[in-house]
Amino acid sequence: MVRTTITYLTLVAGAVLTLAPYLLSVQTSVKTPAQFAAESPLAPPSPVSTAAYAELVVGGHSLIPPLVITVQVVILVVVGQLTCSVLAAYAFARLEFPGRDAVFRLYLATLMVPVVATVVPRFVIVSELGLRDTFAGLVLPALFGSPYAVFLLRQFFRGIPGELVDAACLDGAGHPRVLWHVVLPLSRPVLATLVIITAVTHWNDFLWPLVVTSGERWRVLTVAVAALQSQFAGNWTLVTAATTLATLPLLVLFLVFQKHIVRSITITGMR
Amino acid sequence: MGDAEKRPWVGYAFLAPSLVGVVGFLVAPVVVVAVMSLYRWDLVSPARWVGTANYRVVLTDPALIRSLAVTALFVVIVVPAQTGLGLCTALLLDRRLPGSVVFRAIFVVPWISAPLALGVVWRWILDPSDGALDALLGQRVEWLTSPGLALPAVAAVTVWTNVGYVALFFLAGLAGIPGQYREAARIDGAGSWQTLRLVTLPLLRPTTFFVLTTGLIAAFQTFDTVYAMTRGGPGGRTDVIASLIYREAFTSFRMGRAAAMSVLLFLLLITVTVAQQRYFRRRTTYEVA
Repeated sequence: MVRTTITYLTLVAGAVLTLAPYLLSVQTSVKTPAQFAAESPLAPPSPVSTAAYAELVVGGHSLIPPLVITVQVVILVVVGQLTCSVLAAYAFARLEFPGRDAVFRLYLATLMVPVVATVVPRFVIVSELGLRDTFAGLVLPALFGSPYAVFLLRQFFRGIPGELVDAACLDGAGHPRVLWHVVLPLSRPVLATLVIITAVTHWNDFLWPLVVTSGERWRVLTVAVAALQSQFAGNWTLVTAATTLATLPLLVLFLVFQKHIVRSITITGMR
Repeated sequence: MGDAEKRPWVGYAFLAPSLVGVVGFLVAPVVVVAVMSLYRWDLVSPARWVGTANYRVVLTDPALIRSLAVTALFVVIVVPAQTGLGLCTALLLDRRLPGSVVFRAIFVVPWISAPLALGVVWRWILDPSDGALDALLGQRVEWLTSPGLALPAVAAVTVWTNVGYVALFFLAGLAGIPGQYREAARIDGAGSWQTLRLVTLPLLRPTTFFVLTTGLIAAFQTFDTVYAMTRGGPGGRTDVIASLIYREAFTSFRMGRAAAMSVLLFLLLITVTVAQQRYFRRRTTYEVA
């Protein structure tokens, strides 16, 4: 009984600590700048003001263009990564060709390459392609899939009983049809997992968009929030409204797909 | 393996799109960064060959030495703290009391949010004049501008972000331990502390290894949180290696030096990974598949 009480008290304390920053920023975002300047940062909002949100939606510092670009980037990257990784994983799992194992070892080796160490050379490569500060430059490095996704899908594809594939092949189906009609329908859980993890990673990505874009034209949400923070230093009602808007879509998604997302994180261990 | 595919090009046709990405944006950058590190280049004027000069400059640069020390300190705070707290959280959730699922979901929320946005939120909370924390404490503390507090503050925010995520892996690890092991320990008269130390923790070793490795690699590369909260300040006290590389390349435009630093980070992380693998292979006596 005592143990149960202590467990609950600890969990509740943890939950409060986890959610407080979110709740406090929502509370601040609906205050008037005048109230924020005059009263304690903890005081409840009175009157409730949506001026900050209006400014960020229809006003001069709209987050809608960055939102649209972020959504486009995420959709393209998810579709591109999934397509390329599925094809590659199928080749590694089900096809025989010279050099297969050597290429696979190369993929495994690239898992060790730290992202931060590749930012500078990637920037140079994208610049040489003439894609600095373009939408293509934003998307291209991630578009062709990650070795991690290939690795995960290959594991999964190898677990699919060979008889199923052989039966389809005997019926005269080529590899594209086997992949589409036999392998993919059986792989829905792992595909859903990859969609979620890829979407979250690229929605939240900051360093690459910061580096590769320079003006307002191709700003994604995270970069736009960082820019707002510098431009409106101290105007915390506006800045907290911006962080709330930037984090809200994924939080809603999380509420809806909570169970699946939690499972996905443990399956992939990806960040 | 299915049919005997006799046309080798089929395999490469399937592989091609992915291979373009892996070669173009993972393998090529490693080569490019190594070559770049041997040149002096400001992105505008032509690059000039300088041999190993960048490495000599960088390795004696107080900024890099300080940055490495800052990064090491950051990692040493963050990784054990998030692993320990994550384990404790998982053990509490693993008691499976009613409502555990809700708590589990709440703890993961920060991991779903952009680290940049969370960094901005915490930058406000820790603000000495307008922030929530000092209002709560009723005392003015310069969390992010005093040399001694800035790094622990940024580290604490990182830990706050990651604890729920780490807990998920320990939960999965705990679920993988057959119930009878812990049951047997209890029947043999082991207290809960002894069961934890002698049965649960050794069986969790593969999970611990995974959590430590990925945590370490991520912590070494922290950027967004620092950018949002301190930009490396005050006086370089939070200037982690990623932050230094970013500034060197994209505000000072010393591409060669930034490349040399990237190579050093790369070598450092590979060493850490290999060392960790060696260590754990030696220490893992229980094989839990």
